[in-house]
Amino acid sequence: MIRSLLREPLVHFLLAGAAIYLGLTWFGDPVDPASRTIVLADEDRAGIALGFERTTGRPPTDAEMAGLVDRWVREEVLYREALRLGLDQGDPVVRRRMATKMDELASAAAETATVDDATLEAWLKDNPQRFAEEGTVSFDQRYFASESAARSAMGQANPAGSPISLPARAEDMQLREIREVFGQQFTEGLARLEPASDWQGPVASGFGWHIIRLTSREAGELPPLAQIRERVEADWRNATIAERREQAYQLLREAYRVETE
Amino acid sequence: MRKAWLMAGACLALAGCNMAAGDTASETKSGDGTDAIELAEFPDRPYWGDTHLHTDVSIDAFGFGVRLGPEDALKFARGDEVTATTGTKAQLARPLDFLVISDHSDGMGATRRLYDSPRMLVRDPTLRRWRDMMHESPEQSQRAVAELITAAANGDLPAALRDQARQAKATHDLWNKHLAVLDRYNEPGKFTAFAGFEWTLMPDGNNLHRVVMFRDGSAKTSQVVPFPGIDMKVEQLWDYMEAYEKDTGGQVLAIPHNSNLSNGIMFELVGPDGGPMTAEYARRRAAREPIVEATQIKGDSETHPFLSPNDEFASFGVAGWELGNLPLTHKSTDDMRAGSYVRSALLRGLTLEAQLGVNPYAFGLIGSTDSHTALATADEDNFFGKHTGTEPGPERAMESQNLGTRVGRFGWHYLAGGYAAAWARGNTRAEIWDAFKRRETYATTGPRMVLRLFAGFDFTAGDWGGDWVRAGYSRGVPMGGELTDSGKAPVFLISALKDPDGANLDRVQVVKGWVDASGKAQERVYDVAWSDMNGKRARAGGKIPPVGDTVNRSEATYENTIGAAELRATWTDPDYRRGQRAFYYVRVLEIPTPRWPLFDAKRFGVALSREVIENSVAQERAYSSPVWLRPARENRVGDAPPIMEGT
Repeated sequence: MIRSLLREPLVHFLLAGAAIYLGLTWFGDPVDPASRTIVLADEDRAGIALGFERTTGRPPTDAEMAGLVDRWVREEVLYREALRLGLDQGDPVVRRRMATKMDELASAAAETATVDDATLEAWLKDNPQRFAEEGTVSFDQRYFASESAARSAMGQANPAGSPISLPARAEDMQLREIREVFGQQFTEGLARLEPASDWQGPVASGFGWHIIRLTSREAGELPPLAQIRERVEADWRNATIAERREQAYQLLREAYRVETE
Repeated sequence: MRKAWLMAGACLALAGCNMAAGDTASETKSGDGTDAIELAEFPDRPYWGDTHLHTDVSIDAFGFGVRLGPEDALKFARGDEVTATTGTKAQLARPLDFLVISDHSDGMGATRRLYDSPRMLVRDPTLRRWRDMMHESPEQSQRAVAELITAAANGDLPAALRDQARQAKATHDLWNKHLAVLDRYNEPGKFTAFAGFEWTLMPDGNNLHRVVMFRDGSAKTSQVVPFPGIDMKVEQLWDYMEAYEKDTGGQVLAIPHNSNLSNGIMFELVGPDGGPMTAEYARRRAAREPIVEATQIKGDSETHPFLSPNDEFASFGVAGWELGNLPLTHKSTDDMRAGSYVRSALLRGLTLEAQLGVNPYAFGLIGSTDSHTALATADEDNFFGKHTGTEPGPERAMESQNLGTRVGRFGWHYLAGGYAAAWARGNTRAEIWDAFKRRETYATTGPRMVLRLFAGFDFTAGDWGGDWVRAGYSRGVPMGGELTDSGKAPVFLISALKDPDGANLDRVQVVKGWVDASGKAQERVYDVAWSDMNGKRARAGGKIPPVGDTVNRSEATYENTIGAAELRATWTDPDYRRGQRAFYYVRVLEIPTPRWPLFDAKRFGVALSREVIENSVAQERAYSSPVWLRPARENRVGDAPPIMEGT
């Protein structure tokens, strides 16, 4: 518990905030928000050069690099001066941007954290509906342009049907695929049939009419984690990011009282 | 106050540390999906997707007001319900199988950053004015973007937006974050999320845009950033693509689109510098750009009535868009048409091939949306608009569209958008991308009809009785393929099956283009199968009687009491000549159905103007990629007669 708390960025944030607060209280006068020394580290230079290279496909020349650095310094000077002048105050955009950064901060760990199998097993168990394979159906179908033609073919041992570019035999076909290939109406009609050795129907579709020999219907199974680990992990991550943001917000929100006047 | 700033600083520093760790991705986790799923023996079904979608990362989409990002776009495309920017719930009736998010590389995220910048720090007066307009109101925001598009078209964007190095760092962060999201939503066998961007070259406002589509996951794609288009040349984009393939071992292709807004420069007979096209340019173009997007919200680019006067169905999605380029800074004239439409480009390709020994315009076809709402909608009854300003609302069909202009284009000119169908053996990045590369794709204007095309020399009607798909692949080539002239007329097996949840089919046509003995380009449309073709609609005097019209204008409904569920043809080219250089593609027409303005009128209870009502019923369609017939002996350079155009 303590261990996971220590990894929690929100805790880092609160601790860092507390430290700064203590520091400020300890030393009395508030320090200048932005120092007048601008340090351009090697990493900064490398970052600037890399940005250029990624765009243009070649490293910058010395002259270009000098220009890039000048621009970087200029931006930094103006940024610090803007802070000094308090230009961040009362600006709805800064407000929104900071709020977004808080959201990102809250979820940052979840975007990159490595996750163990136990967590994912639990996730899989708690959200089976997201990972269970869709049910599958096996059936033969014959197509007819009219309902009466379909009806009169029902009694035949080997009804031929009219030619159409739809599979005559579907072997363990997933429901989503049946919907895509045969359409919504057919899929609904198929759902009303029970497995039997006889031809059933007729069932209407967007194409016309079908008689169906439904040989089996299998409920979807939940695959083992090993088989779908990446999917589970991606889903866990997407959901955890959203959850972290909400939790962080609620934690902070509790400290506030909103009064409407 | 100062304390607050330090707190914020700590917060940013921590965020920075945490984010940095996410830059790396393993090849297995973020790959192209090879070996991830079991594959069918042949491409067994079309996979449906949109390769052209913008989110709030795009400079113009954000300005138009969209606040949904890539993650919302992916959720929506795979079938989830999301809340559109304007507050309505949005969901696809049927999920898509794949998606390319193609945000503009130029100023990627720049409008968002501009919007987010403190006002005092925006020093450029133009940028500052745009920033203020974006904050003022949605209408003003759209006006700002219209100005931005015009400025881009006129080549006078503020320097800050053209500054590559300055944009690069921001783009790099955004891109890597985006790639991680794509990998998380990519599910081999279920849903494919492609990395891509739109490259937005627009000299004089004339559209030379391409969507760039990567085959690979973030382990490879994170080694580059999207390549800027403004102030560039297309050869530089190809350089970038070649460098990507060489450096990473990955693969990438580019998809030109909206040639209808290019004022004749998308498919030129000459090289980009105005001199004769070189074989090298033609070779690179063919290699880099195997697919063209033929239909989307901003109109249809198949052909124009001026180019195809004998084609009675040539005017689909032409109205409004034929007036000029996107910002309407330059009007279109008839002499520009041949360079602006796909059919004439395919013809030019034949002519150039005879000259250069290589065909620069031997491309396959797809449709897409080009939606700027993060919502990949293409159904007429579920149209979420070109951008956030045209999301569902009572007036949108009749409103003037201020997309850089004040005249000529209105809401109803927008098509509901198209989709791309790819014949693949499974739903992975590798399988679908490879289908694009070999051109085994087709375009639709939204409906999901299933279109098969095989070309060979010995197909017969008897093949339909057996496993004709196997026969098609073993004794012929599918759409996108090439045949070598063998002295016999080519035979085609064509099957068009209606959208299972959509309208019946009116007819199937073969569009043939060829270069005749005098070197002149020719085209002809053959009706090869249609509903009731041996009954009431038997050919009379060379013409086929119209299929009819069951659309109820006030209710926005239609009846499938006319048309056919499937149309098949075994078609032999009756005008084949030995040694002829030709292409053949299939066009499928649905019966007439209501367009989106009729659904709007019904939903919002508004009365449409007479002009809109007259243009509110259409025959949705599909275009296959062509099959090419090539002479057995390739001409050597200089063999061919001088270039002459049939149009």
